[in-house]
Amino acid sequence: MSRQYSLRKCGIRFDPPALFVTYTDKSAGKTRCRTMPIRNFTKTSTVTRFVEDFRKNPRHKKYLEDVPKSQLEKLLRLLQDNLRGMSLDQSLNEIRKEYSIDPNEDLNKVDEETLRKKKTAMEDSFEKNRKKPGDPDFEYEVERDFQPVETCEWDSGDSGSDADF
Amino acid sequence: MADLRASVPEYDKEDGEYKVKVICLGDSAVGKSKLVERFLMDGYQPQQLSTYALTLFRYQTEVGGKDVCVDFWDTAGQERFNNMHPSYYYQAHCCILVFDVTRKVTYKNLPNWFKELRQYRPEIPCLVCANKIDDVDYKVTQKSFNFAKKHQLPFYFVSASDGTNVVKMFREAIQSAVGYKENTTDFTDLVMRELENLDDLSLSNDVDSGVDTAGNSAETHTDEADEEQAEGATGTT
Ligand SMILES: Nc1nc2c(ncn2[C@@H]2O[C@H](COP(=O)(O)OP(=O)(O)O)[C@@H](O)[C@H]2O)c(=O)[nH]1
Ligand SMILES: [Mg+2]
Repeated sequence: MSRQYSLRKCGIRFDPPALFVTYTDKSAGKTRCRTMPIRNFTKTSTVTRFVEDFRKNPRHKKYLEDVPKSQLEKLLRLLQDNLRGMSLDQSLNEIRKEYSIDPNEDLNKVDEETLRKKKTAMEDSFEKNRKKPGDPDFEYEVERDFQPVETCEWDSGDSGSDADF
Repeated sequence: MADLRASVPEYDKEDGEYKVKVICLGDSAVGKSKLVERFLMDGYQPQQLSTYALTLFRYQTEVGGKDVCVDFWDTAGQERFNNMHPSYYYQAHCCILVFDVTRKVTYKNLPNWFKELRQYRPEIPCLVCANKIDDVDYKVTQKSFNFAKKHQLPFYFVSASDGTNVVKMFREAIQSAVGYKENTTDFTDLVMRELENLDDLSLSNDVDSGVDTAGNSAETHTDEADEEQAEGATGTT
């Protein structure tokens, strides 16, 4: 998408169900909207499968490239919660909770689906900051020296917790 | 269980190939898999061990003029519920201990991982890395983390996302793995392996009680330094 189009936003319409993106077509200098109908999506559909299908779909792919996967998942979840009769507020609240990262939550102890959602959320920054082969500034070996000047606050106030180790 | 040994590679047998095993350890979602992927980049076929849900990546390199075959072991999520299988630690030559600079709890859990590592591999080199520095605008790199200092472990600020210091860290891990292997008596490892082969490796999933099984107790004593200490204690000095 980045070369010819630049993404402006991606959203969902409930009825009839569709994903849409608005983007700027750089060569034409125009803002356009593309609507992608969501077919056969029900109360019990697997959200991740639909997300994968959209991201792989040859007709939609290039418009969705820059949309974070987590956002597509959240949008389809909104639709699904709506089909289930949940209020928009409640749905938004739950989704926000499920896809947010609490720095103190021990993710070794959560169930697999919870972990999957957190990892999907973490992928946003991973993809955003990523330098990969083919990028103009990609280098295999990136070395940087850092000189810490202060002590990390995570080390204070825990003297007992790892006393013997 | 019979085909267990056939499916798990041996690292201390000298059969022409010089092999080392490097393991990654740390909480769920700290970026262990992404780090290995970033170092290896594309073109590496992960090998799945059928007996356990473990993935290993084989990498050929040279250290000091010698061809070395490195196996990087990655978990397939067993770090959840701290349920690492003893075979993960078995014969490892180096460990990369990872935490996530965006999540304090992953730093706070380092002592637990380190403790478990030392139960199985008391002497192997261990590196600590602070991952995801890209996600906090690198600000965190002005801070020093006491855990590594306290245990005198080499420390790296890394990002699997933009690649900062990933290759450097893995190279140093490979070097320490080879260095460790060079300095342990193959004899001790050999004897231990023979002892081990006498028993069926009926490893339990329970790491705590798993220490009682033949495979593990042998493993805990594989390190030369342990042996020397034991002898020293009987009064040869
Ligand atoms: N921003 C950023 N995200 C990362 C980095 N490394 C991993 N992640 C993200 O963190 C999540 C967990 O990574 P993963 O390698 O699966 O962790 P593992 O469970 O320790 O193997 C994934 O969503 C990654 O995209 C990094 O260096 N920077
Ligand atoms: Mg992983």
